[in-house]
Amino acid sequence: MTLRLAGRQGRADAPAPSADQAGQADPDGPADPGQAGRVSRAGHGGQGVKGGVPFGLGGWLRWGWRQLTSMRTALVLLFLLALASIPGSVLPQEGIDPAAVSQYYAAHPALAPLLARLSGFDVFGAPWFAAIYLLLFTSLAGCVLPRAYRMARSARQPPPKAPRHIGRLPQATSFAAPAAPDQALGSAAGFLTKRRFRVRTGEGWVSAEKGYLHEVGNLLFHVALLGLLASVALGGLFGYKANKLLVEHQTFANTPAGLDVFRPGRLVTATDLQPFSITLRSFSARYVETGPQRGQPLEYNARLSYSASYGGRLRSYDLQVNHPLNVDGVQVFLIGHGYAPEFKVTDGTGRVVFDQPVPFIPLEQSGLTSAGVIKVPGASPRELGFAGVFLPTEVVTPAGTLASVFPAAWIPRVSLVSYAGNLGMNGGQPQSVYSLDTRHMHQLDVAPRPLAPGQSIVLPHGLGTLTFTGYVQWASLAITYDPGQMPALISALTALAGLILSFLVRRRRLFVRAVAGDAGGAVVEFGGLTRSDAAGGFEAEFAELAGEIMQTVGGFPAGAGQAAAGQVGDGGHAGGAASADDEVVLAEQEAASDDDQVALAGQRESE
Amino acid sequence: MPDSGLAQMSNATLVSAIVLYAVAMLAYAYDFAFGRRSSAAAARSKPERVATVALVGAAAGPDLSGHAFPADPADPSELADLDLDAVGGPSGSAGSAAAGSGSGQGAGVAAGALQGRARSRWPEGVWVRAAFALTCAGLALQLFAIATRGIAEHRVPWGNMYEFIAAITCAAVIVLVLASVRFRAYFTGLFVLLPVVLALAVDVVVIYTPVGALVPALQSYWIAIHVTGMIIAIGMYVFGAVVTVLYLLVARHERRVAAGEIPAAGGVLAQLPGSTLLDRLSYRTILFAFPAWTFAVIAGAIWADHAWGRYWGWDPKETWSFITWLVYAAYLHARATAGWRGRRAAYIQLFGFACLMFNLVGVNLWITGLHSYAGL
Repeated sequence: MTLRLAGRQGRADAPAPSADQAGQADPDGPADPGQAGRVSRAGHGGQGVKGGVPFGLGGWLRWGWRQLTSMRTALVLLFLLALASIPGSVLPQEGIDPAAVSQYYAAHPALAPLLARLSGFDVFGAPWFAAIYLLLFTSLAGCVLPRAYRMARSARQPPPKAPRHIGRLPQATSFAAPAAPDQALGSAAGFLTKRRFRVRTGEGWVSAEKGYLHEVGNLLFHVALLGLLASVALGGLFGYKANKLLVEHQTFANTPAGLDVFRPGRLVTATDLQPFSITLRSFSARYVETGPQRGQPLEYNARLSYSASYGGRLRSYDLQVNHPLNVDGVQVFLIGHGYAPEFKVTDGTGRVVFDQPVPFIPLEQSGLTSAGVIKVPGASPRELGFAGVFLPTEVVTPAGTLASVFPAAWIPRVSLVSYAGNLGMNGGQPQSVYSLDTRHMHQLDVAPRPLAPGQSIVLPHGLGTLTFTGYVQWASLAITYDPGQMPALISALTALAGLILSFLVRRRRLFVRAVAGDAGGAVVEFGGLTRSDAAGGFEAEFAELAGEIMQTVGGFPAGAGQAAAGQVGDGGHAGGAASADDEVVLAEQEAASDDDQVALAGQRESE
Repeated sequence: MPDSGLAQMSNATLVSAIVLYAVAMLAYAYDFAFGRRSSAAAARSKPERVATVALVGAAAGPDLSGHAFPADPADPSELADLDLDAVGGPSGSAGSAAAGSGSGQGAGVAAGALQGRARSRWPEGVWVRAAFALTCAGLALQLFAIATRGIAEHRVPWGNMYEFIAAITCAAVIVLVLASVRFRAYFTGLFVLLPVVLALAVDVVVIYTPVGALVPALQSYWIAIHVTGMIIAIGMYVFGAVVTVLYLLVARHERRVAAGEIPAAGGVLAQLPGSTLLDRLSYRTILFAFPAWTFAVIAGAIWADHAWGRYWGWDPKETWSFITWLVYAAYLHARATAGWRGRRAAYIQLFGFACLMFNLVGVNLWITGLHSYAGL
């Protein structure tokens, strides 16, 4: 309503089709790529706003809402969101690589706490990041929902009357026909109906419209983005992520205690975890053995057996990269692997106090040189600790250092430094199993010598013996449950479909007018315009339709004299006395191409 | 096992393709420098004709006397409004004369199409024709090089940076050829081939990688979907960026001509189509590139979910493809917003392209992430 009113006022002010009208002339057809919808709405002043200056609380609220849902704000928010994402790719992120964050703390002790306070290590969970995207989505919703309403309304309305001056449309032609005007119009209308145009007829004219799917696609795209956000939120509330490092022959249960890292969604409790258990029966890897790619992995295979519930039936699965295991909607992925050398430690009293594999963490990928520590708190008379590296294929470099040159365990060796003293494990402080606190220990004087399987270190002062008994491998598993996954996929595909639809379908209107010709028969004028011709091609379509309509009514190209007569009803336009309908369509004519249209609507906004 | 004989054939063919592209570039350049001199007179008369038709179309539309419809309506000259040769003319004189009213110009073109006056899609002039033929020959060789490499490796040949650059340059040339024929945008040849040849030279000389197998993370049919989508989108983005640079140059040239600072005639810029058409051509390219990019990102997310257990994890590569998506979305919106159209929108598009390039090069070189295997 408001729109019509504004359009009428504009007409009173300015007889010529103005930009003002272009944006508002058609209340039911917001333009492409949907943003004219935004801007044209800036046109309704509403209550509380006079001449752009708001007054009263309601006025300010309305003004603020209009600013928020304006195209310009959306643009700025898009940019801000892009800008805000950049630190997330430059700084290490807690949720992606916590180890890198620790390293950053060590490297920049002054800067890191400051960045942490600004959520620099958790950019995508930061309040300011959320503020930007929530504002953006609010702006989007504020734009899209009213447009959806208007589109639904316009879908039930017939196309507008034909303009009096069809010749002024962006596409126009005319021809003579032998039939009477009414007959010619009738067959033209029939043809357009057959071509699935929505057709409206009147005294001496036919209008037709097609391509409503353009706006449908546009709205679908934007609504689907809202759906995507909702899906992500769903996953964040009800999903969880976990990690587990699993050594060959070991088993774990999917409980918070059984997992190494457990990141539940906000509304997830321990009882929500699916009760499966997994055993790593064996792990194998294949590598390129010769040539320039030597050492590059070809295949990883973690042979699992699992049961979906406690005491349930055992099944086997070959877990591979790109080939996850799905248990009750929970997915298990293979994300890493390494070696766990096995050690047996006999303490000073002759007891075996340690006999198990110890996972070592790869330091590099080409040779899988891995680091790890062995803690033997039960040893007496002194607690023992060892730190060192595992070398799958050991060589001694010319410089005299040790290195591994191949990731498979061809020449497995460990090289360890031995400590005795207090491991500091009784202080109640949690300790990482991958690092050794040597503050209360002293290094033992043992000749540095890499051990082959079966070889031992005999510690001085009768402190005990460590034997490298062999090695097994471990696989690290990621366990994820994300109920938002499928909704997110559907939303994304819907967005894509909407995008393609809005780019491929053009909304266009065609108009036919016919009057009696001088020499009998009719002079038919045929014109058209499109508002959203993103992919182009309207001219071609128009030419084709014009040709077919001419055939349908049995017409022939008008001669020079007839064409002059064909300027149907060219009265009084120059004086600005053209009918209201005429003005509307002419205003649209200015807006013929999508960009022009939006420009005009945009001018409205900048006023 | 990789087939080294085929691989060598692929390498040699790729080098030949680069040579052909370079020669094609020279021919395009020669056309700009000398080839159009003879047709200068024709160019001078053409604008008037176009302008006349435009006036007719705009003011007295019905007067299309004697203008027959195309004999075969099934083969209308598609996208006639982008028929650059017919409308553009030398940007200085004709472009601005006819561009007085955008819709008038459109009407003029449409009238032209109705007249059946549409010229052949194929290039005119010996040098452009030769350059285009060389481009097509180079493209055929490059496609052959990529195919043989894929056969040699028994996989999709986009598993590393070397192969990826070969593929996106190929995609850019395909877009160039299609746009040339469809929109008669032969003038873009020189400007698209220039970065293509440079990128391919760097690719072959600096970052050549011998044939080999893929790491397990890349062993999935999704590589054919996700990476192919990326390649197609990037090829179109490259073309869009090149045309946008031309747009900015021509727009500046037009402003200076209008201000009387420089004469309208002379120079390469005067031989390019008007800025309105360049802007539209670039916009249309991005309109196709953006859904392709969206598709590729979605495909990547599905693959990531399959391989890493989450569809989106803010890996640096993902973050930058998201940033690229946002900036190109901003471009599409900016082109629809007052005060942002034209030059500012063009700058946004180039900024989006910069993000794309950073994602391609910068993220691989300086930032480690899950996509690091794609590195050099």
